Amino acid sequence: MKTTIQEQDGNIVAILVGNLDTAVAAETEKAMSPLNDVEGKDIIIDCTDLAYISSAGLRIFLGILQSAKAKDRHVYIKGINDTVRSIFTITGFSNIFEFK
Amino acid sequence: MNLDPHGEMLLRQYRELRPTLQQLADEASNQLRHALREQDIYITAMEHRVKTEKSLAGKLELKGAKYRSIDDITDLVGLRVITFYTDEVDKVAAIAKRVFDIDWQESVDKRKLHKLDSFGYNSLHYICRLKTGGPRFELQMRTALQHVWSTIEHDTGYKGDVKIPDVYLRQFNRLAGMMELMDDEFSRLRIVLTNYRRQTLALVKNGQLDDVPLSCDTFRSYLELQPFDRLNKRIAAVNQAEIWPVSMMVYLPVLESFGLESLGDVQRFIDENSDDAHQLALSQLAITDLDILSSNTALQYLCLVHVLKHNGGRDGLKSLYDLINGESDANGMLADMMMEQAKTLQFMQ
Repeated sequence: MKTTIQEQDGNIVAILVGNLDTAVAAETEKAMSPLNDVEGKDIIIDCTDLAYISSAGLRIFLGILQSAKAKDRHVYIKGINDTVRSIFTITGFSNIFEFK
Repeated sequence: MNLDPHGEMLLRQYRELRPTLQQLADEASNQLRHALREQDIYITAMEHRVKTEKSLAGKLELKGAKYRSIDDITDLVGLRVITFYTDEVDKVAAIAKRVFDIDWQESVDKRKLHKLDSFGYNSLHYICRLKTGGPRFELQMRTALQHVWSTIEHDTGYKGDVKIPDVYLRQFNRLAGMMELMDDEFSRLRIVLTNYRRQTLALVKNGQLDDVPLSCDTFRSYLELQPFDRLNKRIAAVNQAEIWPVSMMVYLPVLESFGLESLGDVQRFIDENSDDAHQLALSQLAITDLDILSSNTALQYLCLVHVLKHNGGRDGLKSLYDLINGESDANGMLADMMMEQAKTLQFMQ
C-alpha cells in the first residue's frame, strides 16, 4: 500500500495505491494523518489505483471527513473502482462522501 | 453650510468628541449583539453609525438654537436593529432595557403616535446610555417591512422641500397601512405555524402516527424515536459491526417518492419490510468482514426491498440510488449488483 500526499490546484490530494486492508491500516492512517490538519483547503482522496478498502480503511476516511467538516471543508473521493464503490454502498456510506 | 457662532461651537465640540463617539458606537453595538445572541433572538440586521459632520451641520443649520451643548443632541451615535416580526421589536426593546440605561423622557414609540385613521413611520426609538456612563445614543428598533417603508420614504425625498400633493401622500399612507397589515399577518402566521408544529410533535410522541403528515419537521421528530434502531442492530449483529451515526434526512425524498404520506405509512413500511431488508443485508454483509455501518443502513435496505417488491427492477433501483447518491452512471452498476444479489432471496420468489 502506497500513500502520497501532494498539493494540486489549491487542494490537498492523497493518492492511494494498493489494498487498504486491516494489515496496512495503521501505516496508512499515519501516512494520511496530515490531512486532519489541513486548513482552508479541500481534500481529494484519489482512489484510482485503490483496489480494495476494509472497515479499517472506511474508518480512516470517516475520520478525515469529520475533521474536514468541522473546518467547513469538503472531502472528495476520486476514481473509485466498482469493488470499492460497492463497499461504500452496502455499508450505507455512499451518500456521506462526495464522489468525483 | 451657513452656521451661526453657536452652531460652529457645537460643531467644534462634535469634532473633539468624534473618536469617543466611534468607540461608543462599537461598544454599544457589541453589547447589544452579545445580549441578543444570548437570548437566541434572530434579527435581520443590526447597523451602527456615528452621525457625519455634514449631516450634523445640516441639522444645526435648521435647529441649532434648540441645543445648548453637544450633549443635548441624542442621535450622534445611532444603532438600528431590524427584526423579522413585530413581536420581536418588543423583545429587542426588553433586552435593550436590561443592557442600557434608557432616557424615558426622550424615548418614543412611534408605533403609538398614529391616530386611528393614519399610517406611516412605525419604529421604536430609545435614547440610551451605556451602564458605564458616557454620551447618550439613539437605538431604533423596527421590523424589516417597517425598514423597507422608511427607506423608500427617505429615498423618494418625501421630507424634501417640495410640497408633495395629497394624492401622493395618500398613496404613501396606503402602502404604510399595507405594510402594517403584512407585519401583523406574518406574526400571526408564525404563531399559527408554531402551534401546528407543537401539536404535530405531540401526536408523534403519543404514537398517533397516522394523524401526522410526513414532512421535514415531523420526520425529524419521528427519528428521535429511533424507529430504525432495531433493524440497524439486527443487521449490525451479522458482523458485530459498529454503527456510525449519520443524518437520515436524505431519505425523506425517497420515502415521499414511494407515496408515503404520513408517519403511520412510514411505520407500516418499516413493519412490512424489516424481515426482508434484514435478509437482503445479510446476503451482502455476511460474505464480508465489514464491521462498520452507517446508521442509515437499515433505511437503505428497507428502501431497496420496497423497490424490489414493487417490481421496480433494475431501473427502479438505479432511480433509488440516484436519489440517495446523486445521479451517476455508477448507480447503474450498483443496481445490477443488487439485482443479482436479490434474485435468490425468498421475497423475490
